[in-house]
Amino acid sequence: MARISIDPITRIEGHLRIDVEVDRGAVQKAWASCTMWRGIETILLGRDPREGWIFTQRFCGVCTTVHAIASVRAVEDALQLEIPPNAQYIRNLILIAHAMHDHIVHFYQLSALDWVDVPTILKADPARAASIADSVGSWEGNSHRRLQDVQDKVKGLVASGQLGIFSNGYWGHPAMRLSPELNLILFAHYLQALDFQRKSNQVVGILGGKTPHIQNMAVGGVMNAINLNSLATLNMDRLGMVQSLLQETLPFVQQAYFVDACLLGASYPEWFRYGRGLANYLAVPDLPVDAKATQLDLPGGVILDGDLGSMRPIKDWRDQALRAAVAEDVTHAWYQGEGPQPPWQGKTDPDYTDFQDGGKYSWVKAPRYNGHPMEVGPLATVLVGYASGHPLTRKWTDDAFKRISSLRGPNLTPKDMQSTMGRYLARAIRAAVLSELALKHWDLLSSNILKGDATTYNAPQFPQQQITGLGLHEAPRGTLSHWVVIDKGVFSNYQAVVPSTWNASPRDQKGVPGPYENSLLANPVADPSKPLEVLRTVHSFDPCMACACHTFDASGREIAQVKVL
Amino acid sequence: MKAGAGASPQRTCVVGIGNVLLGDDGFGPLAVEMFRCKYECGPNVEILDLGTPGLDLAPYIYAADLVILADAVDAQEKPGTLCIYCGDELLARQAQLRLTAHDPGVRESLALLRLAGHAPAELIIIGVVPESCGLGKGFSPSVLSTSSVAVDNIARLLVERGIDCRRRHVPVQPNLWWLSGERSESVASR
Repeated sequence: MARISIDPITRIEGHLRIDVEVDRGAVQKAWASCTMWRGIETILLGRDPREGWIFTQRFCGVCTTVHAIASVRAVEDALQLEIPPNAQYIRNLILIAHAMHDHIVHFYQLSALDWVDVPTILKADPARAASIADSVGSWEGNSHRRLQDVQDKVKGLVASGQLGIFSNGYWGHPAMRLSPELNLILFAHYLQALDFQRKSNQVVGILGGKTPHIQNMAVGGVMNAINLNSLATLNMDRLGMVQSLLQETLPFVQQAYFVDACLLGASYPEWFRYGRGLANYLAVPDLPVDAKATQLDLPGGVILDGDLGSMRPIKDWRDQALRAAVAEDVTHAWYQGEGPQPPWQGKTDPDYTDFQDGGKYSWVKAPRYNGHPMEVGPLATVLVGYASGHPLTRKWTDDAFKRISSLRGPNLTPKDMQSTMGRYLARAIRAAVLSELALKHWDLLSSNILKGDATTYNAPQFPQQQITGLGLHEAPRGTLSHWVVIDKGVFSNYQAVVPSTWNASPRDQKGVPGPYENSLLANPVADPSKPLEVLRTVHSFDPCMACACHTFDASGREIAQVKVL
Repeated sequence: MKAGAGASPQRTCVVGIGNVLLGDDGFGPLAVEMFRCKYECGPNVEILDLGTPGLDLAPYIYAADLVILADAVDAQEKPGTLCIYCGDELLARQAQLRLTAHDPGVRESLALLRLAGHAPAELIIIGVVPESCGLGKGFSPSVLSTSSVAVDNIARLLVERGIDCRRRHVPVQPNLWWLSGERSESVASR
């Protein structure tokens, strides 16, 4: 597939480039480089904080809503402005729908073909596949007839020579090990996933007014008018539609996606040993259930060195230690500046040098938490949830461990989750947890409205003096934070520390590599010209950027340049 | 070609792709907004500014009869040149068409939809060659002047297929919010 390389300033999704040095079948050194400038925040300077979210949701084409929410939360934090419970629930439902959508898309469309060998589907016995699928889950899409139908489609595709449309498929690679039947089951769900992407989008569309760019956000709440007797507002009909869509999505998440992640884990046990990386994790609490956001349904915390026992909980968004701990280092990033800078004082002045192995090599800054590089994402959320005894996280994690063991896979502990396969499994666990919380937050919203509360908005008042705010959101790819400074009612600084900034971070001033770079060390590579195993580990983080992957042998000769999608 | 006047209504999507914060890369959203303001369509025509959706394009064009997709393209032509392609050229890679960074998403979304049996029956790409895609730069004159030609071409393509699309008697003022220049004043005027 063609890749366009234009000046780094031009494309917002960015291109992640991974360079690895391979020797004796394993990665020895790795560099993660974002080849695109992320100085998009400068566009916010001088703007009215009430309209910041309209711009920030254009930061990224895929994660639009998350940047809208983080932006209004940052301004509300600066103003110490509460928002009505209805606004919390409506935002939460949008966030949950978006997150389930995102996790489904990641598993099936962005990474399944790293593990599923499509051509072998021709050898599958659909009846046997249906009976295997029946024995592990109760998903209605597993019938013999539907699996037969999918196999016929693949036959047609292979016969017409069109398999090449899956440009990231490494068919027949020695690291592909699913049986033809499991390949068929997962591929069938890959196609069915499309229907659930649509349902999640519809939820966002109904509540947010439009998708992918929601229209209902506001500093101080949401702009949804609630009137149970009016056709033009959020009424019982629309709430009912949201409920049905969430209820229809739940079986796919729990019985297809979650079960598939367990099947993958049981079939590829060695991938619980690779890709561990730093084992420092950061997750922030999310899904507030009250106006002041003192109670949140998803826990946050900090884990260092993989030690769950000494996790430091982050109780809510006012956590002072978190605010003081984050700083961004630009020693190896293409920016001017010395030493780590807290985001509120952060600058975004470019200093491009070309790719230098020992010098500057990325447009991504290196965020650090008290000097530590941190992994963010579903694995962090699940480990923090498990360590805090969060009931839903425990329930689905223990369920996953039990299933994998009963599928003759390994007997897992939370420690094993700190791996490439652990990230895939954690994302499925998180999706299952969210599928339950979706219905809970729908209940909270509708019962609050039925009580007669139709308030959705508290008007903000901006002081003349300088104020600072932090907007946090535990997005599908991990902790997202917007750091704002407001002076005389307009933004005077705006820094977004996004999940992929944490994970794709380059080395820092001490030379310590970031999470991608670290997790790739000792990663196996059977055939350097087909670095499938590298993709598996990079994809396990759900990188948000289309990325290019270069493989070098020990002498530095480039063996392959592979497009990663 | 399917349908015509009098046949069952076709589901049509007029989709703009591109990042409005990056100069001419915002051509797609510009074109669909200008189209919406100059022309009026029946209820079966959805006009969508999708930004840069990547693989998330698929659910929006799922099972549509006709998709017209406006985007900046990287063709070997002068900036501002209007390029119209059909979807097969894109999928078969016959066209030396290199869409912007969102291209992988467009092609893969189409492939996935085709395999799942929900591909749009017809896809047409209305492209413009960008001049400058700098951050917050707004549109260059060449792209801006092509956009009105592009808009009339979108209307022509719909009308040719018997889809309800009429020029508005009184045009609507386009909402190009991202071009609101004077930053601190932009809210006061809202």
